[in-house]
Amino acid sequence: MLSAFLSAFRTPDLRKKLLFTVGIIAVYRLGATLPSPGVSYGNVQQCIRTMESGEGNGVFNLLNLFSGGALLSLSVFALGIMPYITASIILQLLTVVIPRLESLRKEGQAGQAKITQYTRYLTLGLGILQASAFVALARSGQLFNGMCQEFPIIPEGTGLPTWLTVTVLVITMTAGTGMVMWLGELITDRGVGNGMSVLIFTSIAARLPSEGWTIKNNKGWAMFGLVLVLVLVVITAVVFIEQAQRRIPVQYAKRMIGRRMYGGTSTYIPLKVNQAGVIPVIFGSSLLYLPSLLLQFFDQNNLNGWQTWVQNHLVQPDSPTYISVYFLLIIFFTYFYVSITFNPTEVADNMKKYGGFVPGIRPGKPTADYLDFILSRITLPGALYLGLISILPNFFFIWLDNQQFQNFPFGGTAVLIMVGVGLETVKQIESQLMQRNYEGFLR
Amino acid sequence: MGVSQRLKTRVRRFLQRPGTTVDLAPLEKLLPTIEAREEELTELSDEELTEVAGKAEDYVEICAAGREAARRGLDQRPYDVQLLGAMSLLAGKVAEMATGEGKTLTATIAAYGHVRRGNGPVHVLTVNDYLARRDAEWMEPVYRLLGLTVGWVTEASTRDERQAAYACDVTYVSVSEAGFDFLRDQLLTDIDDRVQPPLTTAIVDEADSILIDEARVPMVLAGAVPGEQDPVHTAASVVRGLRAGRHYTVADDGRSVAFTDTGLAEVESRLGDVDLYDDEHVEQLSAVNVALHAHALLHRDVDYIVRNDGVELIDEMRGRVAQRRRWPDGLQAAVEAKEGLDATAEGEVLGTITVQAYVALYKTVCGMTATAVLVGDQLREFFSLEVAVIPPNTPCVRIDDPDRIYATRGEKEEALIQEIQEQHDTGRPVLIGTLDVKESERLAEALREAGVPCTVLNAKNDAEEAAIIAEAGAYGAVTVSTQMAGRGVDIRLGGSDQADRDRVAELGGLFVIGSGRHDSRRVDDQLRGRAGRQGDPGRSVFAVSLEDNLVIRHAPDAIPPSPRMNADGLVTDEQVDFAVEHAQRIAEGVNHEIHRNTWRYSVVIEQQRKALAERRERLLTTEVAAQMLTERFPDRAKEMDEDLLSRVGRSIALYHLDRLWAQHLAELSEVREGVHLRALGRLDPLDEFHRSAVPAFNALVPEIETRTVETFEENEFDDDWEPGAGELVRPSATWTYLVHDNPFGSELDRLIAAVGRRLSSGSR
Repeated sequence: MLSAFLSAFRTPDLRKKLLFTVGIIAVYRLGATLPSPGVSYGNVQQCIRTMESGEGNGVFNLLNLFSGGALLSLSVFALGIMPYITASIILQLLTVVIPRLESLRKEGQAGQAKITQYTRYLTLGLGILQASAFVALARSGQLFNGMCQEFPIIPEGTGLPTWLTVTVLVITMTAGTGMVMWLGELITDRGVGNGMSVLIFTSIAARLPSEGWTIKNNKGWAMFGLVLVLVLVVITAVVFIEQAQRRIPVQYAKRMIGRRMYGGTSTYIPLKVNQAGVIPVIFGSSLLYLPSLLLQFFDQNNLNGWQTWVQNHLVQPDSPTYISVYFLLIIFFTYFYVSITFNPTEVADNMKKYGGFVPGIRPGKPTADYLDFILSRITLPGALYLGLISILPNFFFIWLDNQQFQNFPFGGTAVLIMVGVGLETVKQIESQLMQRNYEGFLR
Repeated sequence: MGVSQRLKTRVRRFLQRPGTTVDLAPLEKLLPTIEAREEELTELSDEELTEVAGKAEDYVEICAAGREAARRGLDQRPYDVQLLGAMSLLAGKVAEMATGEGKTLTATIAAYGHVRRGNGPVHVLTVNDYLARRDAEWMEPVYRLLGLTVGWVTEASTRDERQAAYACDVTYVSVSEAGFDFLRDQLLTDIDDRVQPPLTTAIVDEADSILIDEARVPMVLAGAVPGEQDPVHTAASVVRGLRAGRHYTVADDGRSVAFTDTGLAEVESRLGDVDLYDDEHVEQLSAVNVALHAHALLHRDVDYIVRNDGVELIDEMRGRVAQRRRWPDGLQAAVEAKEGLDATAEGEVLGTITVQAYVALYKTVCGMTATAVLVGDQLREFFSLEVAVIPPNTPCVRIDDPDRIYATRGEKEEALIQEIQEQHDTGRPVLIGTLDVKESERLAEALREAGVPCTVLNAKNDAEEAAIIAEAGAYGAVTVSTQMAGRGVDIRLGGSDQADRDRVAELGGLFVIGSGRHDSRRVDDQLRGRAGRQGDPGRSVFAVSLEDNLVIRHAPDAIPPSPRMNADGLVTDEQVDFAVEHAQRIAEGVNHEIHRNTWRYSVVIEQQRKALAERRERLLTTEVAAQMLTERFPDRAKEMDEDLLSRVGRSIALYHLDRLWAQHLAELSEVREGVHLRALGRLDPLDEFHRSAVPAFNALVPEIETRTVETFEENEFDDDWEPGAGELVRPSATWTYLVHDNPFGSELDRLIAAVGRRLSSGSR
């Protein structure tokens, strides 16, 4: 992989693309640390420190993770790439509901360009909504779960009318959202990798140093080293399993060729061990946020019987019940998601339509049954693997006795996303590199 | 142009919005200077003009000399707009010029200019042989006055003729012929046989047709592989009589077909109760599949015609017989078997290049067409070409009526015939553009029954094209034609001698009726463009029925269940108007997508072809092969005559290089066929394709050397040794054809659609 990067840097136009991407990332990080006007930087830092040493399990942690810590500090790029992703998903769903959008989608590139344009407008709309919401939360102190009332994030009495401060804040953050969206598109168009993914990757990776440092400060060098080794082992394992696939050979019989020399070794369906990707983990953890959200409606200091039970078993991330439920949820969602995205009947129909078949198996239902059989067998280790990786931070949690490791960037969602994006991007670079590397051949 | 309009154009240009065009103002400023030179040049003798022309280097001098030469050689003084066009071509743009504005002459001045500016030799790429020859001969006097030589190449040209034609300053050649010459040059074993000089400048005639519609069609150089004919004929008889719906299902888009279980059982029993999916029957299975495709998806007189005991393909965009085009992978033989003809032998691909990659080999590319703006985005995407819109010399006064939409095909045809009869009774010439050969014949038949005499022009009688078109504008003429009439030919009002011009003009000029929307807006526009030439009066209208293929294939859901309509079946529903436009946009989108996919996958093959071509060139022109053999076998090399060693080394090395390349191409097309399945593992199919193609190619090079050494070791060579002896037999017959791109259609976006379908079925 390193050698791939090195030779990529030796290829002029690829080097340009890489440097461009790095430049965009730098701009993105700068904006993520730049405080918005009207926000007290000192107070925000104070609050974050309180939060880290405190007890609370922030509801916005996952969002904060995706924005690279920009959200809680209400920086210019506080909203990050999330509004854009949300808008894309909403538009994709609307395509199914609104006939006008569906007909646009069918019109190919020209129509797709219009949909992209709508996505951008919707992103800005969502940006305004979310910015207003977070500014309101920040003003009421809710952003930090009410634990940081003595340090107002948006101080009053600065000489400016409040409405002006708030308006400017909302405008700044919305503009930031637009900017992030543009940066993402620039990466996709002129850089390497998929813009959205690369920015999420950046946000998560940006948290690594500070999280690592927290460990060092709390537990000392030895523990820090141990965690580092462990993390490396986990990442290696994830890379290894993410790449694992079962290849089902497929042969096409739609062409009459004099002599067939290549007996279908190059044509196959790759079934990945982790066919579902990171989605089941996100589904699972989102679902487990519900109990903790539920408890917010009650008086924290005066919980009744079942509320205490929920608090102890479904909210505390170190409780065995919590860990088992989480694990089982992920296994369930893995099967669920695989069954949604990979429909053996549809794949078999498609193969039949274009004259393809698995050697030795008749097309149609027998092929679908065969694919289904292989798929359900390969999904089991995949589901177990996802579950294990996801509950890993909870063990860290018990082990390190720290409250902040639910979205600890060394485990679960974070590692899966980082490795996924990393592999995808490296593959793209490799592929482009191969395409361009005929200079060497010409000697 | 008003200030607001100008501002709008600026902003559009800045944003690179669709429809962006080049700013012509700087070129327009030169026009008065060119005109000022005119007087001086008029007084020169022919010899002096040639001498002046030989010195011209800037736009002004080139245009002035060109205009004077055209005035003398053709007795036509080029209009200002033609000079504008020529200058845009010199600047490397695609000029959009309306029909009848004199594109041929424009190209001539531009070709001359390119030669003078050091970009020669210039190839003018035409859409067919007829136009190449006609244009070259027509423009010859102009070139002679300008001191340039001009040549043309057609399919019938011999090698010597080709070499002579390509040696000229300007060569007119059809794009397929030029591509095949290029491919053949790639397989030479003797450097003296080369016909094409290095490619420098191309002026592309009908640029949208060649650069966009044809771009994705690969030109293929194939060698014969003796194949058994039996499976093809057996398969044809097996699928004969199978019925759609019961035995097989055709996909909605009409691009693929598959057996149902009943159909499969039927076929297997007809073949004698075999299991087709058994390993040993793969060949038979392929034959049956291909035969089904020929049976269910390709229709006589729509997709092909049968003429002179052969199957000839019809170009879907142009309605003409596509010169030397064949369906790939046995489909051609299957169609021949279906029609009861002898199947021709299948070819092994020896070399291939897409039209797009071929055009990209030229250092300078420019072009002209009547419909460029609509493909401006694609020209920019695939060729980095900008469009310059040249205003017409006299404004177009043609009246374009809105579409007339009918509910059923029957009602449409009834209305069409009535309309034609009414127009014909006044004596007004009518041109009817139909979608395919079959329809043109059916319509002509119906017209004759209604007492309207008419002439038919379609792929079957294309030899009479020029004569038919010449009279299409005559008083009382009714011409029924396929899209053929759409390009390259001019319809003059009042017939070829323009005797009745005024009478016809008074009636409103030529009336163009389209019997249905085509798959592309540009083809429609080209057909409309037959009327209203050079400021002539004219009128055009399209009749569409909701049963037309375009609507059924692409927008069946967009039609409201009971649209508003008049008593005679004329639909007056805005939603339906939208649906028809929408269907056409989908068709265009699909074609664009296919084009992009073909291109993305051909990029890597093209790079490999280039890399290998360079290696081949070295083998051909230097002694590297002999040197390599001398190093490996110093003793044996010493014994051999130096000349013989060089000959032997070169021949063996070239032979293996060509063989391995052909195998490599075959392997890549196998990979390409199933690579979309990789998307199921969340892998990018294109990246995966590269991952297969690149290592395979890298292994190719050492393999050439290994095999060369092996062959040298195993064989004895004496002084009489000739390449082609022993096992080094080249394919006995070599011929060329164009492959119709991927008739099965690619389906990369299937998964996205699948999720969408699931969501939509879930929400209902």
